[in-house]
Amino acid sequence: MSRLRPLLAVLVAALAAPGAASAATTKRVVAVTPFQANVLAELGIKPVARGEVLGGRDRVNPLLNGVKILKLSHPNGPNLEQVAALNPKLVLTTPTFRRGEPALRRLGMKVVEAEPTNVAQVPTQYVRIGKLVGRERQARTLANRQVKRINFVMRKAKRRPTVLVILGVGRTPYAFLANSWGGDIVRRAGGRLLTGGLTGSGGFARISNELVVKRNPDVIIAVPHSESKDIQAVARYMKTNPAWRTTKAMRTGRVYVSTGNSLLQAWTDVHKIIADVQTKFLKNR
Amino acid sequence: MTDRILEARDVRVAIGGVPIVHGADLHAGAGELVAIVGPNGAGKSTFARALAGLQSFEGEITWNGEDVRRLRGRRLARTRAFVPQRARVPDGVSVIEAVRIGRSPHVPPLRRLVTADHEAVERAMERAGVAGFADRMLSTLSGGELQRVQIAIGLAQETPVLLADEPTSALDLGATAGLARLLRDLVEHHGIAVVLVVHDLALAAAVADRVVVVSRGRTVSAGPPADVLTRECLRDVWQVDAALEGDGSRTALHVDWLAPSTL
Amino acid sequence: MAVATPAAPPAVAEETGAPLPERRARGTVRQTAVAVVAVVLLAGSVAASLMLGAVHVPLGTVVDALRGTADDGPLKEIVLQLRLPRTVSAICVGAALGVAGALLQGALANPLASPDVIGVTGGAAFGAMLVLLAFPGSMALLPVGALAFGLLAAGIVFAIAWAGVNRGSISRLILAGIAISALFSAGTMTLMTAYPDRVQSAIFWMAGGISSTGWEDMSAVWPYFLAGFALAVLLPRPLDRLALGDDVAASLGSRPAVIRLVAGLAAAFLAASAAAIAGLVTFIGLVIPHLVRMAGGTSRHGYVIPVSAVAGAALLTAGDTLARVLMAPKELPVGPFMVVLGVPLFLWLLRKAT
Repeated sequence: MSRLRPLLAVLVAALAAPGAASAATTKRVVAVTPFQANVLAELGIKPVARGEVLGGRDRVNPLLNGVKILKLSHPNGPNLEQVAALNPKLVLTTPTFRRGEPALRRLGMKVVEAEPTNVAQVPTQYVRIGKLVGRERQARTLANRQVKRINFVMRKAKRRPTVLVILGVGRTPYAFLANSWGGDIVRRAGGRLLTGGLTGSGGFARISNELVVKRNPDVIIAVPHSESKDIQAVARYMKTNPAWRTTKAMRTGRVYVSTGNSLLQAWTDVHKIIADVQTKFLKNR
Repeated sequence: MTDRILEARDVRVAIGGVPIVHGADLHAGAGELVAIVGPNGAGKSTFARALAGLQSFEGEITWNGEDVRRLRGRRLARTRAFVPQRARVPDGVSVIEAVRIGRSPHVPPLRRLVTADHEAVERAMERAGVAGFADRMLSTLSGGELQRVQIAIGLAQETPVLLADEPTSALDLGATAGLARLLRDLVEHHGIAVVLVVHDLALAAAVADRVVVVSRGRTVSAGPPADVLTRECLRDVWQVDAALEGDGSRTALHVDWLAPSTL
Repeated sequence: MAVATPAAPPAVAEETGAPLPERRARGTVRQTAVAVVAVVLLAGSVAASLMLGAVHVPLGTVVDALRGTADDGPLKEIVLQLRLPRTVSAICVGAALGVAGALLQGALANPLASPDVIGVTGGAAFGAMLVLLAFPGSMALLPVGALAFGLLAAGIVFAIAWAGVNRGSISRLILAGIAISALFSAGTMTLMTAYPDRVQSAIFWMAGGISSTGWEDMSAVWPYFLAGFALAVLLPRPLDRLALGDDVAASLGSRPAVIRLVAGLAAAFLAASAAAIAGLVTFIGLVIPHLVRMAGGTSRHGYVIPVSAVAGAALLTAGDTLARVLMAPKELPVGPFMVVLGVPLFLWLLRKAT
């Protein structure tokens, strides 16, 4: 890898200068999130690079095979030098990595935060990305298909159990609020979130174990938030959390652990995720 | 000794509302060694600090006729040097560096020491007898050596007056004698006026041209040691039965240590 | 009874060893050698910082880019838009922290003093967290927030320390610093628990690191760097006087409380600006001045302050380069690297000194 890097850089440098203008129709795009990469793929555009995916690799569009993968880290997201070397015209990113945006803009790239934070934004972000890459018409078609699929799967819900979706940062629980990606998914799957009165930033609210017991949900969906290696340990801890012993969910064996990032970040197969939540967690189809 | 460089009249100092000095007088001229003596807590050091311009006060203190309160900063530092009772001993500072710091009132900000300054530093070290260990760190010196370095720092200021607050308080006999010779030498051979706060009456009597007795914040008498440090004075101020005896620089204090207090 | 005493000079030269001039020369040679080593290390780490990174840029291209003769293209942009501002930031931050530490250790007569002591670090951390966590939409305000709250915290500390009896004394200043630091770190913790979803982005800042954000941060902060360095230029001799104790300093015509205030102010400017750019890299401020004093064998501020600036710049530039090369393309926080680089050297010197 490290021996390849100089070669790559030279290659890129050779391609960049004269090639850029002629390839203007299909812009050189970097997609930081899997949602963005998938949308591009569906629009028939192969990004020059995409951000790494920590969970849910199976949901990545096969058209993206072979696309260079950028490692992501805080606070900048992708390594700025790597992005610069790729010389993209457009970088699709998220507010999480806002710190690195000014530098990319100064390098002459267009930088756009195009990432849905709830289900309703999925079709609108399709159209937005479509406009940015000059494929608005296709994007609108895809967006309409998304709307139909989402509405279809939402109608499948037969019952509306009460739910708490709990994010575990270490051993500190946070509740997904209705305005978070995961909270919105569960709501659309037919769950009734017991988060009334809770407030917090970015769609999450600190919740105490006592409050979990008091609200006494039918179903608890635990979402571990940690590096993939110890995710199993955190998942195990949440599933057997003694503090939740007296809840209806625990007594009826309805504490579930969602791994694979589907509730933590936006994906293009949103209707499948909703259906999954219905069949695996809410059991309300 | 008519040429009075330092003149203090009716000096009063209160610290935190508590009067420490109330009504102290003193004067000193070139080539004169004045010793301020008195019991513990009499206000000697406070008085000396006021003289040096380091302590706010009421009354009148003038240097060459100018109010000490109007002499600030470098001008004051070129008028008098003050050797404090217990100076800090910093790590990583050598003797010569410390003495150069003493020269700084003569060096404009952001300028380097010029040849004249280096010569003054060497002179001060020679006079104070510290040139032989100029490169040693202060933290490695003995109490007597440190005290001489403090004097050298004061001498580097090349001021007409040197004030020293109990420079001998921590020294052994030999070091005390060495310091006494040094101060006397400054007075006699370099025309410097020395104002010395001192505890040891025998020492004061040996080195001073005049002594000023401070008791309970007040100067009670002043004059040549033999005239001032009388049996009565020692009884009234120190409440001891004692007599000063001496001949020139050979002095002794004969004390009846166990006599009942006269108070 | 006042009678002439023999004018014989007191006994001198009880010390043995090399003749005087030679010993003096040896001290100077050592100091010069240490300063030269610091400069060479700085030059080396600056070169490495410009040459190394996630993308390989040939040395020739680096030189051409700096001379303005490189061909247009991503490599030139990487050098000029990403690496150069980053390197300059590292130099400024490292130098600022080195100088801030030297100033505070001198002003407070305490070898343990660092910008934490006067509340700057705690305040800057709170300011940065406020922007990162509560107002992530205004990320551009991050350096300004860190700077403003760093200075605010230092201002409160100074205000407390300079009020009432015993004003401007070391213990008053240190105690005020501890109290205000505690206050601001409580605020920081509260923010972190209130915005758990954004804590990730805060951690990098806490650990300390320079991010390639171009000239933007520097353009907001440089006047404060400049003010701090300008004050520092005035301070070596006053601090030298202060080293001999407040009484000696006062008798040499200085006002110890004023020197301490100005030195504290300069350190606050420098440390707050440094935190604004690089987060919490506190280790440099504590250790670099020590290293310089021990290696150079002198505490003279005219020596310690400038050499600390050079050494601090070298250490941070080297640490930042390592942090972005070791696990490239991922960038590691630079704070821990400072510790890894500095501690062994420090312990070795400490052992030698005792």
